[in-house]
Amino acid sequence: MFHVKQSDKGKDKVYDVIVVGAGHAGIEAALAAARMGFDTLMLTLNLDHIGQMSCNPAIGGIGKGHLVKEIDALGGEMARAIDETGIQFRMLNTKKGPAVRASRAQADKALYRQRMKRVVENCENLTLKQASVEALVCRDGQVTGVESQMGEVFKARRTILTTGTFLQGLIHVGDRNYSAGRAGDFAAQGLSGSLSALGLRLGRLKTGTCPRLNAHTIDYSRLSVQYGDETPAPFSFGTERIEQPQIPCHITYTNPKTHDIIRAAIHRSPMYSGVIKSRGPRYCPSIEDKVVRFAEKERHQIFLEPEGYDTVEVYPNGISTSLPLDVQADMVHSIEGLEEAEIMRPGYAIEYDYVEPTQLKPSLETKAIEGLYLAGQINGTTGYEEAASQGLMAAINACLSLKGEEPLILSRDQAYIGVLIDDLVTKGTDGEPYRMFTSRAEYRLLLREDNADLRLTELGHRIGLATPEAHARTARKQEQITELTHRLETARIHPSRSVQAQLRALGTAPIRNIVTFAQLLRRPEVDSADLTAFDPELEGVPSDVALQVEVSIKYSGYVDRQAQGLKRFQKMENVTLPDDLDYGQINGLSREIKEKLSHVRPRSLGQAYRISGVTPAAISVLSLYLYKQKAG
Amino acid sequence: MYQADTIAAVATPPGEGGVAVVRLSGPDARRIGSEILGRKGDGWDSHRLYHGRVRDPARGFVVDEVMFAFLQQPKSYTGEDTVEIHCHGGPYVVRQVLGLVLAHGARHAEPGEFTKRAFLNGRLDLTQAEAVLDLIRSRTDKAANVALGQMEGGLSQEVRDLREQLVDTLVQVEAAIDFPEEEIELLQRAELARKVAGVVDRLSALIDSYEWGRLIREGVRVCIVGRPNVGKSSLMNALLGVDRAIVTDTPGTTRDFIEETVNLSGLPVVLWDTAGLREETEGVERIGIDVTLQRLAESQGCLLVLDGSSPLTGEDRKVMERLRGSQGLVVINKNDLRQRIDRAAVAELLPRLRQFEVSALTEQGLDELRTGLHDCFLDSAEEPEIVVTNVRHKAALDRARSSLAEVHRAMDDGLPPDIVAVDLQEARDSLEEIIGTVTNDDILDRIFSQFCIGK
Repeated sequence: MFHVKQSDKGKDKVYDVIVVGAGHAGIEAALAAARMGFDTLMLTLNLDHIGQMSCNPAIGGIGKGHLVKEIDALGGEMARAIDETGIQFRMLNTKKGPAVRASRAQADKALYRQRMKRVVENCENLTLKQASVEALVCRDGQVTGVESQMGEVFKARRTILTTGTFLQGLIHVGDRNYSAGRAGDFAAQGLSGSLSALGLRLGRLKTGTCPRLNAHTIDYSRLSVQYGDETPAPFSFGTERIEQPQIPCHITYTNPKTHDIIRAAIHRSPMYSGVIKSRGPRYCPSIEDKVVRFAEKERHQIFLEPEGYDTVEVYPNGISTSLPLDVQADMVHSIEGLEEAEIMRPGYAIEYDYVEPTQLKPSLETKAIEGLYLAGQINGTTGYEEAASQGLMAAINACLSLKGEEPLILSRDQAYIGVLIDDLVTKGTDGEPYRMFTSRAEYRLLLREDNADLRLTELGHRIGLATPEAHARTARKQEQITELTHRLETARIHPSRSVQAQLRALGTAPIRNIVTFAQLLRRPEVDSADLTAFDPELEGVPSDVALQVEVSIKYSGYVDRQAQGLKRFQKMENVTLPDDLDYGQINGLSREIKEKLSHVRPRSLGQAYRISGVTPAAISVLSLYLYKQKAG
Repeated sequence: MYQADTIAAVATPPGEGGVAVVRLSGPDARRIGSEILGRKGDGWDSHRLYHGRVRDPARGFVVDEVMFAFLQQPKSYTGEDTVEIHCHGGPYVVRQVLGLVLAHGARHAEPGEFTKRAFLNGRLDLTQAEAVLDLIRSRTDKAANVALGQMEGGLSQEVRDLREQLVDTLVQVEAAIDFPEEEIELLQRAELARKVAGVVDRLSALIDSYEWGRLIREGVRVCIVGRPNVGKSSLMNALLGVDRAIVTDTPGTTRDFIEETVNLSGLPVVLWDTAGLREETEGVERIGIDVTLQRLAESQGCLLVLDGSSPLTGEDRKVMERLRGSQGLVVINKNDLRQRIDRAAVAELLPRLRQFEVSALTEQGLDELRTGLHDCFLDSAEEPEIVVTNVRHKAALDRARSSLAEVHRAMDDGLPPDIVAVDLQEARDSLEEIIGTVTNDDILDRIFSQFCIGK
């Protein structure tokens, strides 16, 4: 089955949306815009690398799994793609509480890419072309299109840049460096200059990746194995089950000899020789960083992750490095099981340009240029999931603005995506790539993976992205949750002899009086499955419904307390600041704070207060000023 | 119009004063006022000063004779219905009145909450607001500078330290949550419990210091009781003799008793000389005895005076019956005379009260009595290193401590780390309310709380 695409009508063709880049941000952006019914053009440097996993071949993780579920709930693509192409699924943090449980899966890198390309190619309203974008075309402070290396001009009403690490990308291996967007791809050279010329401030960030090893040369016999979960849990709320076979990873460790090799060659690392000046992420250090900063540690863990079913390439997660090739080889060979390992691709560090994201509105539109949206690593983030989240939101907001509607701004208590974007546009990146963590969210107990659909599917459906099936499924789930909650709160258990025996069998104390199911469920050692002992009909309840009810009953006190804190938070969030507020003329604000407020232009008093350096006193000045304005 | 509950606080500066004002503001101000003043509030004219008596309806006696005014909204400071009660300025009376108001449904105002309401209800114009603002700013800047004006330097350092410990603990919990594959060991339960217990101990010391400080500031009320003619008044005079300089005299217009303050090694003791307790009396004397009984109920301790030169009388025994369970001392007076009292019998009736033999006349034994009285209320004569004096700080410390108690409970229940983290975060937030490094909370409330309470 195929459908005929509308052919280009020459130079006068004006797209609704152009998406520059076809990585994880670009894919979500292009698909969302097209699915919302807008004529969309996607431009990429290399049509073979759509949805490429440049670094770790894995999706999800703590905080990140949360993002993927939210993308799915809103109607994005990432969750379904990993469900179809994942080769090992694991639920992390299963013993650390309902809020921080998180999904992670390794992907077959090639299958993931192929699947994404297929979806993009077959998406209605979406045109895909290979081109290197070198400049933005603007008129009257508004972006009207982009120009390619070949001088071709593509016109559009909205443009979304998702350039990843490609802006003036520079790869370092030892004392060698060369221009590239990632290993094997050209960098985008001209676009940075074009952005600067339009008044955007650019900075430089660094990240890195590890060498890839040939599985045939690894001695797995001495290494411990790590299997995926017995029953892999899908990412997408729409996926029933994971059908494809799961393959294991292996674990090995560095040792004192490895560390000696690294220390002896540390002066040859571009990070330490001073060649690279930009900062890398502290939470994702290179192996040389780990050895220098944690000198007392005798070993560091390495996960050997296969990059797919049909490839011998292995990703040794934990030894990201930019040391020279000979040192990389010596280091790898010093590790147990890798004595004979052959490096197929070297590890490297890459420096690239990014746009300090405080120059964006919460819609991800730049403040300086109307119609220009940025998403992904260009905004100083790291991670496929962070990028995809932004791509999705940038496209949603570009499309809403084409419809003349208000942007969709998710709040900090609504979604991790809300936390992500609010942090970016309010606090910026502070010179370090931004990654999501659950501890960034104030209302962690409310923002769980398991309730992302309940939080966001309705919204996704309203904007035309989440499918009617997803909407109906979520509504049905909500109904079942209400039913089950009512049932557990009203159904009672009597302290009969047989009940006491069953309780004993479950390892919990006998009851003294009549209790409700809900009261019993509040006992730490009792879970919802145990209740089927007293009411066999409960066995028919879907597990996702049971989980929602169990969490809300078991942790109701805590959830309520977070909800209380939330009310205070919302009071400040609901005081909106006009977009055209002239901070310069407000008496009582220091010059520094005036500058900060004028730069960020917060939407609410709450956001203003999250800007670093804005004091409670400044907030009081602001609120009194607003009060005076309102009073006339 | 900003709608809210009814709040109350003492509007005058803390400490001794001729008159203190308890202010109520909010929709229930009139109802609460009329309940404790025991009269219908419907007929009150706005902005008129009335005379009345604050009664404790539950216990049925008069707490104070007062002047009060009802200010109908919007013509009040806050713009809400307001009742102001002008009572006698002693801290004890003021607290009683405030306590009654709170018991009848008002909420204790947050610092600065009256001003906040005035602002929200449009009772402050911009000029006034900006004047207020200057004050806010100066306070906040100080807050940023660690030490709040009324805060002893040591307290902020201690709280900062405790916050550091909590953040430290939290960091470990969070790290294990956010980096499960990084070989970060989840903080062991025992280790976590130990850290939390350490913080709880130090919080408890701070919280206890508030009580110590309150005793030192406000003193203890001690009733001198006994049957007539055992030498109560001369004992009181003898105790005061050394400390004449700090004696204050409270006129006994509404109180049929004498109140004097004596300083015992830094502890102010308010001595109430009462009418002799005599059973089965009638008429005028009966009234005096009722007052005595009421004062006895309100005091924190008693000095039971017995005449050592006479055997215990039936009246003595009746008085002692009433004192069962009280804190205090037994003073066996007139030890310059031949002793005929049965001390063992006294000890049998009041086993918890230490006995002191004195002579109010020769002043023999008085020093021992003074020391005994001091130790009776401040047995840990040791002064705490840091004294919490602000009730808001104490409340925040209390909250932090109960959040940490929740940590223990959550761990005992086997709740997971993300839940335990909520309690730790709450404890941290409570401490941040004291030192001013608040990051995520309702800022308006914070700003206005830089004000002195009640304004």
